This record gives sequence, C-alpha cells and structure tokens, in this order.
Amino acid sequence: MEILLGLFYVLVFPGLLFCFAIGLLLLGIDRKIVARMQKRIGPPIIQPFYDFFKLMGKERIVPNKAAKKIYIIAPVIGLISIITIALFIPIDYFKTFFNNYADLVVIVYLLTIPSLAIIIGGASSGSPFGGVGASREVVLMLGYELPLVITLLAVGMKIGRLTNTAATFSLINIVDYQIKNGPAFLQWSLIPAALAFLMVIPCEIGSTPFDIADAETEICEGTMVEYGGILFGVYKLTQGIKIFVMISLFIAMFMSGIIPAVSSSIFVNSLVSIVWHMALVIVILFIAVSLLRATTARIRIEQAFKFYWTYPTALSLLSLVLVWAGL
Amino acid sequence: MFDDIITKSKVKSPWLYHLNTGSCNGCDIELISILTPRYDVERFGIKLTGTPRQADIVVVTGPLTSQSKDRALKVLSQVPDPKVVVSLGSCPMSGNVFKGSYSIEAPLDRFVDVDVSVAGCPPKPEAIIDGIIKAIEILKDKRG
Repeated sequence: MEILLGLFYVLVFPGLLFCFAIGLLLLGIDRKIVARMQKRIGPPIIQPFYDFFKLMGKERIVPNKAAKKIYIIAPVIGLISIITIALFIPIDYFKTFFNNYADLVVIVYLLTIPSLAIIIGGASSGSPFGGVGASREVVLMLGYELPLVITLLAVGMKIGRLTNTAATFSLINIVDYQIKNGPAFLQWSLIPAALAFLMVIPCEIGSTPFDIADAETEICEGTMVEYGGILFGVYKLTQGIKIFVMISLFIAMFMSGIIPAVSSSIFVNSLVSIVWHMALVIVILFIAVSLLRATTARIRIEQAFKFYWTYPTALSLLSLVLVWAGL
Repeated sequence: MFDDIITKSKVKSPWLYHLNTGSCNGCDIELISILTPRYDVERFGIKLTGTPRQADIVVVTGPLTSQSKDRALKVLSQVPDPKVVVSLGSCPMSGNVFKGSYSIEAPLDRFVDVDVSVAGCPPKPEAIIDGIIKAIEILKDKRG
C-alpha cells in the first residue's frame, strides 16, 4: 500500500503528470497575461502544450561538435531534479511522506541542478553562443543564490526561535507552525526576506528582465542555440515546472495557513488547500513574473549581478539581522 | 500514440526564424511589425526564435548577395524538418532593382525550394500575415 501510494505521489499528483500539466499551463497563463497587458489578444492558454507536442514531432539533430551523451542527458537530469523538488514541498494540509525526508538545504541543492544542467548542456553543444550563454548563466547563479540562501536562513531561524528550538530547516515544521499561528509574512521581521525572495523568482526561472543567458536577439538563445526538437521541449517544461516550484516554495515559507481547516477530514482539507494554493500561485505569478515581464526590457549581465548583490541581498540580510536580534 | 496530437500541434505552433541575406532592412522592419500589439501574430501561436534549430518557418529577406549565399544555404540546411521556406519581398523573388548586379545571386529558388513568396517592396504587414498563414497550410502536409 505504501509503495502504491509512493508511486501515485511520484507519477501522478505532486509528481510527473501534475508537474507536466501545471508547468505548461503556468507558462501559458504567463504569456496570456503579458499579452493582455500589452493590449494584444495573445496565444491560447494551452499554447505551451501545442509547442511541446510540436517539438516532439520535429527532427532530432545532435550537432557533430557536441559531446553527444552529455548533450542529450543534461535537460533530462534538470527535469528529474525539478520534479523531485515538487515532491518535497508541502501544500498547506496536503503532505506526502516525502516531506519528512527533505528540508530546505536539500531543496537549495536540487534547485541548482536545473541551472547546472542548462550550463552543461549549453557548453557541451559545441557552439560559441552556447559557451557565452553558459558563462552568463554561471554569473546569474552566483548572483541570485546568495540572497536566496540568506532568505531561507532568516525564515529557518525565525521559525526556530518561535518554536523554541534551534534554527529549523524542515519545511514541514515551518508549514505546521504557520497553520497554527498564521502566515509568516505577517511577522514584520520577515517582510524584507519575502520581498527578496520575490525578487529572486524571475531570475531563477529566467524570465524577461533576467533572461540574459538565453537572450534570443543578441546571442541566438544562448545555451539553447543548438537545442531543437524534444530536448528543447524538455527544457521549456523544466522552466515551467520551475515557476511552479519557486512560487510553491514561496507560499510554503511565507503564506501557508491563510485559510483555516474547513473540516476534520484530512482529505477534504487537502483538496481545499490545493485549490487555494493554485489560485495563490497564479496571483504571485502575476505579481512576480508577468508584471515585470510586460513592463521591462532585458538588462545587461553586470547590471543583473550588481542588482542581486545589492538590493535583495541587503533586504535578506536586514531580515536575518532583525531575526537574530530577536524582533 | 501521439501522432494525431503532433499533427494538430504543428499547425498551432509555427515558430519563425528570420534570415537576412543582405536586405535593406525594409522587409525586416515590416516582419517585426507583425509581432507588435497592432497585428499580434502570437494569437496564432507564432513566435520569433533566435536559432534555426527551433524554426518551423524560415523567412528569407534580401537579394541573396554573393557573400551571404553560402552562409544562407548553410543556415537553411540547419533547420530541422518539417520546415517551410517563405521568401519575403521582391528581392529574393527576382532581385528587384538589383537585378543584373555582379554581386547578386538573386532568385532564391535557384538554390532551395521556396514554398511561399510574398511580393512587395516592402510588402504590407497584412500581406506578410497572409503569406505566413499560407505557409502554415503547407506545413500541415509536410512530414518530419
């Protein structure tokens, strides 16, 4: 029974099938929102599904100069690791037994793997544009990882203090505390950290002001220059699931427990919290990703790096200092 | 299993690659204008990609100068099947005002199969959209 339930988690609900659907759907919603904000009609919401299946039917080309095995395997590893993170994030009342095995540290490590897969794939494609894109992606990673890690530290330390233990990195403890005592973003010492996390989201998923690594107008899609066909589809899918995972992580850390338990049965509570979670994901997608994408243009790599090591880092450090001072 | 979905999706999501073979930039500006909010071809699922590896429709502008001929043909051969080639403007059709010049290899269909030709110097955005919709019809019947 345990095994069957585990298989269901991995393959259907927070796992493969659900991630496939929600990742592509969120990409579509993002494109539609941006189109409406620019007074366009825009593509249908299921457009990314068409794109994905079309890419499945395209000819598969592996360039001669590429390191073939790495070139093929890199996007798949990125997809697997991002789906693994989706299993580890609790959705309010909905918890799987995977949540007990993983904490924020594991999630931080796993979050670097899709970016690393993009870097390795781009560098192995044998194209100079791929090399340029890979180097830019490395710089971006250095930029956003610092505020992200400090933000997670601040939240872990705050919840740890409030529950009279040392700093806790277990997501399940953080979510349980919020369900009992209200969402963490109401703790005013965590508000700067929440803002810093919101600023990290667009860079982590590579949307417009920070899509420097795959800038199609200047370096021909950068790391993705030689990728076409299903491998590029897998990369787009990874990007979509990354949107879901990053926003879910934000909600789990800062905005859990807004709706109270509606009934005594865990199943009904889980269903309600999943529906609420999806609505919240779309709202935060609008604030953190689409609004920014519709109103800004791409910035240069050193501007992005400078931005991340000043404002979000300062905000998250402020939060950490406030928490450390016991506020 | 996925054949039906793939055939349907091919029509719904044609991605453009814009190949300039020595154009005067007139057709290029008109091509970009169809992606702007006024004409918005993204409602057909059309997107401009930066690399030929992801393209379904290649839009060629310019009179195919001798310098760019080899490179243009190389880029066209990098596009995975199924693909459709659209020539945009009078230049790749006939050479336009440059016809007879020593540095022009003009009609593009001497070297590759051109599926749709849009005439004009430059063509109107409406004509370009019409040409691309015709290209999508051709793309439907092509096999990868």
